[in-house]
Amino acid sequence: MPDQRISFSKTGTARYISHLDLMRTFQRAFLRAGIDIRHTEGFNPHAYVSILLPLSVGFSSECEILEFGLLGGIPNSKVPARLQAALPAGISVRKCYHAARPAKQLIYTNYIITMEYESGVPNGTGNCLRKLLEQDSLVVPKKSKKAKSGQVQVDIIPLIRKMSLEEREDTVIIDAVLKAQNPGLNPELLVTALRSACPDMAPDFASFHRKAVLDESLRKFE
Amino acid sequence: MDRSMERILPRVQKPARYTGGEYNAVVKDRDRVDTRVALCFPDTYEIGMSNLGIRILYGLMNELDGVWCERVFAPWGDMEEQMRSEGIPLYALESGDSIADFDIIGFSLGYELAYTNVLNLLDLAGLPLRAQERKGLSPLIIAGGTCAYHPEPLAPFIDIFSLGEGEEVLPELIALYRKAREEEWSKGELLLEAARIPGLYVPSLYDVTYHENGTVAGITPRRGAPELVTKRIVQDLDHSYFPVKTIVPSTEIVHDRVMLEVFRGCIRGCRFCQAGYAYRPVRSKSPELLRQQGIAACKDSGYQEVTLSSLSTSDYQPLMELCDGLLEWCEPNKVSLSLPSLRADSFSMSLTQRLQHVRKSGLTFAPEAGTQRLRDAINKNVTEEDLLTSCRTAFSGGWNSVKLYFMLGLPTETDEDVLGIADLAQKVYGIWKESSPNRSRGVRITVSTAFFVPKPHTPFQWEPQITTEEYLRRVRLLREHMRNKSIVYNWHDPETSLLEAVFSRGDRRLADVIEAAWRKGAKLDAWSEYFAPALWKEAFEACGLDPAFYANRERSEDELFPWSMLSTGVDNAFLWRERKQCYQTEITPDCRKQCSGCGANRLCRGGVCHA
Repeated sequence: MPDQRISFSKTGTARYISHLDLMRTFQRAFLRAGIDIRHTEGFNPHAYVSILLPLSVGFSSECEILEFGLLGGIPNSKVPARLQAALPAGISVRKCYHAARPAKQLIYTNYIITMEYESGVPNGTGNCLRKLLEQDSLVVPKKSKKAKSGQVQVDIIPLIRKMSLEEREDTVIIDAVLKAQNPGLNPELLVTALRSACPDMAPDFASFHRKAVLDESLRKFE
Repeated sequence: MDRSMERILPRVQKPARYTGGEYNAVVKDRDRVDTRVALCFPDTYEIGMSNLGIRILYGLMNELDGVWCERVFAPWGDMEEQMRSEGIPLYALESGDSIADFDIIGFSLGYELAYTNVLNLLDLAGLPLRAQERKGLSPLIIAGGTCAYHPEPLAPFIDIFSLGEGEEVLPELIALYRKAREEEWSKGELLLEAARIPGLYVPSLYDVTYHENGTVAGITPRRGAPELVTKRIVQDLDHSYFPVKTIVPSTEIVHDRVMLEVFRGCIRGCRFCQAGYAYRPVRSKSPELLRQQGIAACKDSGYQEVTLSSLSTSDYQPLMELCDGLLEWCEPNKVSLSLPSLRADSFSMSLTQRLQHVRKSGLTFAPEAGTQRLRDAINKNVTEEDLLTSCRTAFSGGWNSVKLYFMLGLPTETDEDVLGIADLAQKVYGIWKESSPNRSRGVRITVSTAFFVPKPHTPFQWEPQITTEEYLRRVRLLREHMRNKSIVYNWHDPETSLLEAVFSRGDRRLADVIEAAWRKGAKLDAWSEYFAPALWKEAFEACGLDPAFYANRERSEDELFPWSMLSTGVDNAFLWRERKQCYQTEITPDCRKQCSGCGANRLCRGGVCHA
């Protein structure tokens, strides 16, 4: 069990930093900030940091959580400002707190998916999407490194907890609460499903924003 | 971030290479600077960010008032495709602004295979390739780095080449550019004045004529340009700029660590090595300053690894003192210290053993040649005994893999020398069997051979490169004699080495070949994913030039080289003497044992060299 967590946002240029690179970035940032944190044991000890729920490259987020162990000498309240000064552009640390709840209580993720249509949203896109997701089951192929064929089939319906959508002139905005882990659902699969079921309504571009991480009763997880 | 960038970045590999925003990246206010500089490394981000020279010049220029220096790297093919289809011009990482509007664009030329990337970057920026088609004062296209000592194949594309170390000459050039802009000089006027600054070579001010046989007949400076341009050096490394505060990439690069340059130049004089001659004279940095800067750089960057860099780190006299000083801080702070470029001698091995944080996985030696005779001929003063003793120490200390680097095609090489490589590898294997404390773990001996490229400004500048067929014959010969399963043999593919041989000693007629190859699609030639020898073959044919003329031809003593108007400070007569020594299998002692009178001392203040 880690001792501390920080919550941070990842926007702008930082969206393109991969999960592994982000961990390395934080390890170095703690050192730059002169904040002493726990190291792993073993032959090549390194600063221990762990980021819950890897975020896909290119997604933005306002609710990332990083776990680590503070070795003392600095109160939690001083960590955000100190660490912030040592971070690259686009990462913003909001809060440092004692890790009271186990990470497995993090059950859902709230995503905002923005689908853009250069020549306007085609008629019926919203309905098509709603119908698609009202089915009892919707199997979508998902890339997999483990499977021999390079992909596995995933039924996404049981992994969607809540969803609403808003149609505008040239965007459709989906507000979705999806299973976060064991297994989680990558919101990209919702767009994949639309693309294969209604190719005429496939967006020209889709962006993804992680808005909140939630517990079983849909309250904010910290 | 620009909307079109947001669209294309999700479609490319490793997008973090294209965004900027790293820790310590320098962002200035556009309205408060008057001179915008793009520092271009004509290869990928991962390679370019690993280059210490880029980091030095970036930091140095950004310390100048009113100057904003930004970085540009070559996009990988997927990104280039997206940029071209979305109409995004080449931009600088810090501001995202198109570099076509910058004042100065500087290229760092580390190797010849990046030449098509230079053209590709100019084109992506929307600029005309040829200097004479760029009429305005800006952007001024300059280039420096190792290839600037033999820049002729790029001559028609570049306005000014900078020879040698850039720390002092770049600010001088920026000052001249500002004066030119203020006084509304023409580009021609600026170039004439630039040619008066020592170390700057303006290729358009030189006329080159050729004999019927294709060799250079004359190189004539015009309008007061100097007959000979001599490289610039920094006199005192302790007082020259070092980037303690340096960019920490947010994505993995090749050399992702603090780099401490302990000295420049080299005392050794290995006859094949261009750096060993071109970077003379030796100038060292004080160990106390290095220790302070190393610690400060670690603290500032959060890097947990420091590496000492130079051409031959064992030759840094206060090396023990420096390592002890650094380790005293590094060990409690869990920072590891690595020492590449060590010689295979007992001193180096005892040092390596003291570095507790060095991983025991691999050890690399570069004997370069398989027999003592050939090692003496190329003046690589490593003996078989040194090498085997070092291996014995390593194996008995628990190492179980060693890499041995050689070259094939060195001047005077015979089949006996080639087979000597297999013998040496076998002897190393024998040493492992004798000295390994745990033989059940096995050993891996990796032998790699590169294809020797004769380089200008070295004693081998007159030498032919052996033909590709002959190189492959020697590879086969060697391969047939590598029968031990613990010995792995890798050889370098000959086609890129042939191109290097052509362009490193080429004249300015080759510019047409580079442009033709680029127009046919050649780029990122140093990457096997992209390198296409067939394109180059077509380009040579289309331009009526024969690669063999440049690569495989022996030059006579009195031949005028295409780079004759450029000097590294080392005399040609000295290089010719060294070549004769090679053929007599005579070694030349290192600079500390005895000065050989190479001439580089004249670059030092007062003419005194402090090797």
